[in-house]
Amino acid sequence: MVTTPSTVGLSVAPPAGADPPEDPVERILSEARAARVAAPPIGDAAYPRYCHELRDRLRAAWPTLLAANRRDIASAEARGLPDTLVTRLRLTDRHLDAFAALAERAERELADLTGHSTTLPAADWGTLRRIPKPLGVVMMVYEARPTVTVDGALLPVIVGNAVLLRGGTEMVETDAALAEVARAALRAAGLPAGLVTVLRDPRRTLLRAMLKRPDAIDVLIPRGSPSLIDYCRTSGALPLIASGGGVNHLYVHASADLALAATVTLDSKIPEPAGCTSVELVLADRSVVEAYTAELLRQAEAAGSALTVRLDPSVPRPPAGPGRIERLEPHDLGREFLDPVIGVLAVSGLDEAVDHIRRHGSAHTEGVLATDPEVTERFSRLVDAAAIVVNGSLRLHDGPKLGLGAEISIATGRLHVRGPVTLGALVTSGWVVEADGELRG
Amino acid sequence: MSVTHSLDRATVADAVKRVVIAESRLSIDPTVISESEPLVGELLRVNSLGFVGMLVRIEDTLDVTLPDDLFVGRAFTVVGDLIDVVIAGAEANR
Repeated sequence: MVTTPSTVGLSVAPPAGADPPEDPVERILSEARAARVAAPPIGDAAYPRYCHELRDRLRAAWPTLLAANRRDIASAEARGLPDTLVTRLRLTDRHLDAFAALAERAERELADLTGHSTTLPAADWGTLRRIPKPLGVVMMVYEARPTVTVDGALLPVIVGNAVLLRGGTEMVETDAALAEVARAALRAAGLPAGLVTVLRDPRRTLLRAMLKRPDAIDVLIPRGSPSLIDYCRTSGALPLIASGGGVNHLYVHASADLALAATVTLDSKIPEPAGCTSVELVLADRSVVEAYTAELLRQAEAAGSALTVRLDPSVPRPPAGPGRIERLEPHDLGREFLDPVIGVLAVSGLDEAVDHIRRHGSAHTEGVLATDPEVTERFSRLVDAAAIVVNGSLRLHDGPKLGLGAEISIATGRLHVRGPVTLGALVTSGWVVEADGELRG
Repeated sequence: MSVTHSLDRATVADAVKRVVIAESRLSIDPTVISESEPLVGELLRVNSLGFVGMLVRIEDTLDVTLPDDLFVGRAFTVVGDLIDVVIAGAEANR
């Protein structure tokens, strides 16, 4: 057997020299667990070394990675994948710069995480120190995004976790090449190569088998389609750090600066229309909804943004002018458009807006625009979301932008972490009790 | 593993409609979706990158095992296309 039952990463790896298990699931889990056990503790110099090595080796192997990526792209195009999806698969030099910047940033943040520990008095007889510990073996399941493979091979690993990366089959060549680079970087840094495993077997039976192994996998991080996240949430037995979709709203109160409200709306949608922090529906007080919509369309035209507004049919359409206006349909409430489309719905006030968000929102990112501080405070207290943005863009909900650090996802669950999943959320902690001979008695 | 029970089209259609609704991030009743509804259109937004999640969810709902390559190399335009291929895949694995 691969492990004994574990709670948080305390399983026993197979004895050295033992034959590897024949079952592919057992073999993969065994290798990951063995690497996790063999890895040095958080704070070891090998981890910042790995950041350097990964950055440098990604640069050195870039032509090879691009060649592998071109094979995936050719395969995707031959299969008739839409251009938008092919674009998501494609690696460019811009990605290499981003990977290098991420590795450098992660190294700096690692020093912050491990540089100090909290010391507390233990009554009058000793002291307590809280120190970070790895989560254990972390499995990531995601769609075809090579950037997530790099994120996964870096952030969890530098805090001592072993990772199992199961990406989309559409990028199997790219992922295999990235795995080679990551494993070479681990070896060069003096870390077990088994800390990073890219799962290349596309069979769903393998995925299902792994999701039933809480004894060997400590945490699951699914990223991707709603069906995939829903399946991971409801069918497996693994603790989950899940990032659900963002059915996000902006509430525009009558006291809002409407020019700012329009600017914030566009920034919350246009740059990344399918992003999880994108706004989908604006709830505007009825007294200002016409003026707000007109300003939104005016700014969109001035910016050259191809915005479509789906307007509440009870709101008079603006006179002929810029922008495309469609009728807001009942099925648009609670949906993610994934396009440069925004719904606008008139509400009677804050309470109706909050009620709508409770019924249709996904508790990801919600925003309020108002100059009245009582409104913003009440909105913040009544609405439950991973982040609430007051008088600003919803796309501010981002680890680096918030100054919280590099993130691997945005969590919408209620335990362990909510919001940006940074290095500090990829560890758990333990107590060191300096007892100085104290007994319980 | 094989399918241990037969599937009628209505059962498969309901499972497929539920999963494409979830995949399209909609909150609507499956009965409002017709088999001729486009998979990428005014209402639904389904793309092939979500197929893994859709397949495992359909397998669970219908208690069947479908071929791993069920969707590979096939073109889907409307909901009925997905229903057809799930029925065919389930039959093939019986």
